[in-house]
Amino acid sequence: MNLSDEQVLAMAPDESSRKSGKDLANPAKWVSKGVGDNALWGECQGSGSKPYQTQIDTGNMAFKCSCPSRKFPCKHGLGLLLLYSRQTTLFTEQTPPPWVSEWLAKRAEREEKKAVQASTPEKQPDTAAQAKRQQARQQKVSDGTAELLRWIKDLVRNGIMDLPEKDPSFFENMIRRMVDAQSPGLAAMMRELADISYFHEGWQTVFMNQLLRIYLVIQGYQHLSQLPENLQQDIRSSVGFSQSQEELKEQTGISDTWQVLGKQTSEEDRLVVERYWLHGIHSKRNALILQFFVRGQSTIANPLAPGTTIQAELVYYPSAAPLRAIIKQQMTVPSDHTFNGFTGWEEVVAEQTAISAVWPVYNDQVYTIATLTPIWHQEQWWLQDSQQQLMPVKKGFAHIWKLLALSGGAPLHMAVTGRETQYEPIGVWHEQEYKIL
Amino acid sequence: MERWNHIINTALLGTAKKPADAQGLSGPLRQAADTILGNASLDREEQFLHLAAVTYNYRQSGTQPVTAAVPPMTVCTPETKACCPPAAIRVLQPVLETDSIQLLQLWLEYCTKANLLLPPAQLPVMLDKAWRNKSLRVLTAAAGGHRAAWLGQFNPDWNFSRVADTPEERWLNGATAQRVEALKEIRTTDPVIALQWLQQTWPKESATVKTELLGVLEEIPATTDLEWLESLLSEKSKQVKETVMRILKKLPGSSLHEQYWQVLAGAIQLQYDGHVVVALPELNDDPVFQSGIEKLSNNKQVSDETHILCQLISLVHPSRWETHFGRSAAEIMTMFLQQEPLKPFAPALVQAIAWFGDQERAVTFMQQSETFYIDILPMLPPVQQQELSEKFFDEYPEAIIKYAGNHPAEWSVALCTKILRYAATQPYTYNQLFMNNVIRQIPVAIAASLDDIVPSESYHVGYWNNIKVHLGKLLQAKSQLPGAFKKAEGRKAKSPRLQNKTNNYQLTSKAPKS
Repeated sequence: MNLSDEQVLAMAPDESSRKSGKDLANPAKWVSKGVGDNALWGECQGSGSKPYQTQIDTGNMAFKCSCPSRKFPCKHGLGLLLLYSRQTTLFTEQTPPPWVSEWLAKRAEREEKKAVQASTPEKQPDTAAQAKRQQARQQKVSDGTAELLRWIKDLVRNGIMDLPEKDPSFFENMIRRMVDAQSPGLAAMMRELADISYFHEGWQTVFMNQLLRIYLVIQGYQHLSQLPENLQQDIRSSVGFSQSQEELKEQTGISDTWQVLGKQTSEEDRLVVERYWLHGIHSKRNALILQFFVRGQSTIANPLAPGTTIQAELVYYPSAAPLRAIIKQQMTVPSDHTFNGFTGWEEVVAEQTAISAVWPVYNDQVYTIATLTPIWHQEQWWLQDSQQQLMPVKKGFAHIWKLLALSGGAPLHMAVTGRETQYEPIGVWHEQEYKIL
Repeated sequence: MERWNHIINTALLGTAKKPADAQGLSGPLRQAADTILGNASLDREEQFLHLAAVTYNYRQSGTQPVTAAVPPMTVCTPETKACCPPAAIRVLQPVLETDSIQLLQLWLEYCTKANLLLPPAQLPVMLDKAWRNKSLRVLTAAAGGHRAAWLGQFNPDWNFSRVADTPEERWLNGATAQRVEALKEIRTTDPVIALQWLQQTWPKESATVKTELLGVLEEIPATTDLEWLESLLSEKSKQVKETVMRILKKLPGSSLHEQYWQVLAGAIQLQYDGHVVVALPELNDDPVFQSGIEKLSNNKQVSDETHILCQLISLVHPSRWETHFGRSAAEIMTMFLQQEPLKPFAPALVQAIAWFGDQERAVTFMQQSETFYIDILPMLPPVQQQELSEKFFDEYPEAIIKYAGNHPAEWSVALCTKILRYAATQPYTYNQLFMNNVIRQIPVAIAASLDDIVPSESYHVGYWNNIKVHLGKLLQAKSQLPGAFKKAEGRKAKSPRLQNKTNNYQLTSKAPKS
């Protein structure tokens, strides 16, 4: 395990944990610290009389701490990992104390139990009641989508010219209606519509793009039975029907060595969404792992470290263009910096054409593209491929200077996220190593 | 794009005013439009939404990259020096976290002394730091190598990052901080050339730059600059004039210095019996007052006459008294310390020694005096400075801390202990920021005794503990610096070819499955 500062800090659930973690990467704060084959541990002197016991399962990158924080990883976990990455030699203890070995043993036991549970048949659910509940929900959703369609048609009939002057309640009422109609997916899509900046030039196109995406989902839902099975799943998940993760985990996934290309975090109404972009070295497939938590209460026990590599079995959510996946099981392995990817933008857009043919409401994708050069042209930054073709860098991209510094005007293999004509670099292969931006 | 604009126009006006139509559509879109618009079961709005959705997907499916003749970007010149070792980068992270510019400066000094470069990924952060702190600019430019200079082409804030190898090049093409450094360098080896450089570019410089460049002359005043400096008294800028005046006051041969001395020579006379008489002549509209000498005393205990004389004595070179009284330096000091009429002027004499940076007379003065004058401290040899600072710390704690903080030499452990003990009594003044600004002077060895330093007031304990933790971090980073760069010794510079090597990569012409 050899993580850089950036990789450790990228695991932090929020900015305050990142800051506190940095403060705790100080040997003076740690009463004891040690490292074993699969674990890292330390006792941190907090404000209480007894030091906090912090432990990290380095094999699965799992954290545990006796502090009262509900964040995962907590500041102590981050601080300990950061200290280890900076001053490995300080970790002189090699035999795990009982509180560490007990935890590791419990984890192993739990994994075994899970495996046993997976092999034993579960209690049969009450299918009649389940069908009744399902039917009731479908009715609610149908009513909701019909109302949303009426709202869209009214909007289109009267024109969107005066939207910038509309009261926020214009959107809020319909968002609430979608929540009532048990269609959280549509509510989220409506929220994006409400969040458009109506005072920026070109809002009309942004608005129409999103409105038509919503319209396509409604149309899809109203004609669900006529659609192929996988597309039905895309429509259902866009409306807001969730897919049981337990069911997914029962399926056989794709075992591969996955590069964690990057992490993007967004927040909406205190709900933090973490997007981890993965690339399978052997399967050459990309995947998106989504994690959700309420701000300040991250409960993700196994955060992924961007820039690292994991050996994992991933199960994709059923979709016409599968991208979102869950990790069935994972293990951190030494970083593999192999590059696989497209040769240029032509291949990227061809891939997007193939996706939009089967699922027109697709979201941002991740691409690994060879030899891209950042170029300043027409007052904005672009990424130029080896065929001299350009795609614009997303406006407001925060790491453009780091990207330029690494490039020095020379082409770099790059991992980018985006779709159509907006791309955001998330990492580059520089001097034979993958580096996150 | 035209098709999409047509959709937007219809959406803006509303289908009640402008129903959907197939205007401007051709090929498969036209076919789809005909089917949609011909479907009588769809109302106007649905016809529009259907057509718009098809156009939307047609557009996104047919997205193409832009093909444009963009002039190729200049590629950064390959570096000839090696990058810092990972150990040095690991130390840089905590150094950046402490927000101590002094510690960062120290890191950069180690880096440039080892002839190493900052890794590219760290450049934006470091260039931004240097943009905010002028003191880091020259070092960052040196440690940034060609890549920092290359980045400077795209970000005007970083234009100081231009690498220049010779002082001439730095003087001609560098940013102000680099020009100041180049002028300083030349000034120490060839003051005449330095003056010529200044004279050549003087009319083109702005008032701010002129002031910064004059600062170099002020650091090492030379009589060869006299004539030119006196000609600058007619400069328009008040800022420039004040700086020129200050430098002239430091040059014993200047006309201003002569004016001061003429007044003093007339006012302080040695009688045949060895006694001194002090009598200031009438100076109503004397030109000395135009140079900043105050007429009135702001202290009731000090007469206006004494106040004027004190100011003049502090600005006249002490050697003048030796020729005036025909005595040695030591005798002059004794006269000022012992003769009643001269006693009030002893502090002014000390100020004059400090003003002219006269180290020899400073030592002589301290040999004669039983009183400690803080102003003289910087003029003394380093060992004596530390001894006196320790000895008189309890009498002048704040003045000594102020001086010791501005002096680059590392404090002795004994002095540092005294300073920190005092700081613990006033943690709101000597806070984390103070520690950031004096970490260069704080010896690493003090870390072992930090826990013994406790504030006298219990309500200061919490705040002081935070400062102590912060200081601990600073000291830890400082202690790691020599080792982190030592490991780099003997490493050969990486070949630029190696840096661009991509032989491990596999390119797949076939799109990966998604």
